[in-house]
Amino acid sequence: MIKFKQHCSIVIILFTFVISAHSSEFAQEENFVTNFADEAIEILSDEVIGENEKTSRFTDLVMNAIDLNLVSKFVLAKAWKDSTNEQKEKYLNAFKDYFINSYANKLDQYSGEKVQVVGSEAAGKYVIVESNIVREGTDTLKINLKWRLINRNGDIKIIDLNIEGISLVIAQREEFQSFLANNDNDIEKLIDKIITVSN
Amino acid sequence: MKYRIFIVLFLSSILVLQGCASKEASVNYSNSETEIVSVNDPLEKINRVVFQFNIIFDKLILRPIAVTYKTIVPGFIRNRITYSLDNLGMPITAVNNLLQGELRKAGVSTSRFIINSTVGVLGFFDPAASMGLTSENEDFGQTLSVWGVESGPYLILPFLGPSTPRDFAGMFSTSLLDPMYQVGGGSTSNSLRVYRMGTGAVDFRSQNIEILDDLQNNSIDYYAAVRSFYSQGRESQASNNMEINTHNQENDIFDDFDIDESYVGPDIEIIYD
Repeated sequence: MIKFKQHCSIVIILFTFVISAHSSEFAQEENFVTNFADEAIEILSDEVIGENEKTSRFTDLVMNAIDLNLVSKFVLAKAWKDSTNEQKEKYLNAFKDYFINSYANKLDQYSGEKVQVVGSEAAGKYVIVESNIVREGTDTLKINLKWRLINRNGDIKIIDLNIEGISLVIAQREEFQSFLANNDNDIEKLIDKIITVSN
Repeated sequence: MKYRIFIVLFLSSILVLQGCASKEASVNYSNSETEIVSVNDPLEKINRVVFQFNIIFDKLILRPIAVTYKTIVPGFIRNRITYSLDNLGMPITAVNNLLQGELRKAGVSTSRFIINSTVGVLGFFDPAASMGLTSENEDFGQTLSVWGVESGPYLILPFLGPSTPRDFAGMFSTSLLDPMYQVGGGSTSNSLRVYRMGTGAVDFRSQNIEILDDLQNNSIDYYAAVRSFYSQGRESQASNNMEINTHNQENDIFDDFDIDESYVGPDIEIIYD
């Protein structure tokens, strides 16, 4: 029995070595994810600062890491091209508030769980970094999280998060398309709705 | 026992045949559409009504139970429950691994079940995973998709939530094919069924209380959001099985959008209240 345990621990040590030794051509992107996750967890688990301070620091972190402009246009899809400049501006502002309200402030659910980067690959003009979030108190219950990043000469931004095969940006896009389809494709109605929901 | 297998064979043959027919028909609209994500939901009107009903059912019954469960039962025990539900699903996963022609995976699922049911104390722990034996849950709906059956239109089932004809047929057949229901005879299999259905629903709901609350409160169109989550989730499970790289499909969606760099919009400033 003791021998069996020894064998197991050797296997586990080797296994962890293999994981930590994996090197990749997208080290820059992987570091970006690791740093982002570490900073996020640091802010969220900070016991000293108050709730408001926590929220604003966290929002800052997220807003600096994401290309919100691109995401905003992407989720609107065809309707973006059909909008007037005035509508575009109104929409961008509304979507920014909505985004902060519904995503940036909600990530505190993930506090206390560690993000482990497990790999990365090229995906068209983007890079996808794959990571796991391990559920608190277990070793094996994991949530798979993929980060779609764009790297413009070293300036890395998040484009999308894919949780267990579900892309948040695609989901948001389908939601907007559905709303437009049910509301005479009227962008003004969508903007009003976005404003109502984020208040 | 025998007639169950006939029912399953009958159902699957209808679905496979219909799948072949519809595949041919669907070839030509893939490249003509500019709508990139085409949502297959012709029954949207009825679905929305059933969806509202399910929300009420959830609000009044399922969510309160899940909240109580999460408040009263410590995390350690809740994790044991998740593991045990996962373990009870292993035999049916093994059967579906076989039906998908994945002999190695079937071996892994079977070993997991044997190890976790014994060493892992009736499946409450997962020693198999520490030995490197990990597997994804498989149901008959996924097997049908490997066999080339199209999912069919999106459906909201009363109480059961999002589905498609393929996944519903799969769910129905899963309960007929599951070895767990064949052993022990009447009473054992019935109480196992109740444990898996009831506890499974509460376990799932309790893991998603905040996420679903947020989604419901922050959605522009909650129905469409859930529909997208469901279809994307099922699609990614299916492509795992067929070893298709989902990134490729996703990349197409992301690349297809011609980024309008000429208009960058107003500088986005962060204003806190």
